[in-house]
Amino acid sequence: MADDKTPPAANNPYTQTHVVVAGDTLSKIAQKYYGDPALYTKIFQANRDVLSDPNKISPGQKLRIP
Amino acid sequence: MKKQSAWLLASLAALIMVGCAGQKEPAEKALASAQSALANIHDTAQKYAPDQLQAVETQLAGVKDSLAKGDYKGVLAAAPALGTAISGLKDTADAKQKDTEAAASQAKDAWGPLSTDTPNMVAAIQSRVDILSKSHHLPAGVTKDGLAAAKSGLDAMKAGWTDASNAAASGDFTTAVGKAQAIKAQAADIMKSLGMSAS
Repeated sequence: MADDKTPPAANNPYTQTHVVVAGDTLSKIAQKYYGDPALYTKIFQANRDVLSDPNKISPGQKLRIP
Repeated sequence: MKKQSAWLLASLAALIMVGCAGQKEPAEKALASAQSALANIHDTAQKYAPDQLQAVETQLAGVKDSLAKGDYKGVLAAAPALGTAISGLKDTADAKQKDTEAAASQAKDAWGPLSTDTPNMVAAIQSRVDILSKSHHLPAGVTKDGLAAAKSGLDAMKAGWTDASNAAASGDFTTAVGKAQAIKAQAADIMKSLGMSAS
C-alpha cells in the first residue's frame, strides 16, 4: 500500500486526468480540482514528463491530476 | 405327547439358532462394508456435508446396535438403506467439494486484477487527500465532511487491504477477493465524493 506521501505512479489508471482546453492555466486547473490555485505545482510536478514550464500548456494535452 | 412337544420345541430352537448363525456372518460383513465405505469418505464428508454425515453415523450406530443385540436379520434388512445413505453422502460431499474448489479457482483468478487495482485506487485517493488537506478552499462539490470521511476511509481501507493480502498469502483467495472487492467499492465511493471522476 502506498506511503502517505507517495504520489500516485504515472501509470496509475486511477489517477484523474484533465484534457487542456483553450484558456486553461495550471492555476485554473488547480482551482477546479483542488479549490486552490496555489496548488498548481502539484499538477506541474505530476506532469514533468510532458511539461517543462508550468506556464506553457497546450490545448489537447492530457494532464494527470494527482 | 409331552416328550414330543419338548422335542419339537428343541428342534425349532435349534433351527432358529442355525438360521441366526447363518445370518451372523453376512450381517457382520455388511456392517464392516458400510463402516469401511464411510471411513473412506469421512474426512471429505466432515468438511463438506457435516450434517448429512451425522445423520448417516446415527443410522450406522443403529445397525451396530442391532448387531450387538444379535439381530442379524435386522442388520441385513437395514444394510441396503445404509449403503444408499453412504452413497448419497459421498455424492453430496463430492459435489460440494467440486463447487468449493471451482469457487476457489475463480477467486484466485479474480485476485490478480484486484491485487493491482485496489492499491492503485487507494494510492490515488491518498494523493488527493494529501493535496486537498493543504488547500485553503475545497473545490466545488467536495465538503469538509467528505474529506474527513475520505481520510478515515483510507485508514479502514489500508487495514482491510492488509487483511486481504494476508488471506491471499495463506491461499484463502475467496476471503481475499471478498475483502478486496469491499475495499474497491468503498474506494469508488470516496473517489466520487472527492470529485475524482474522469473529466
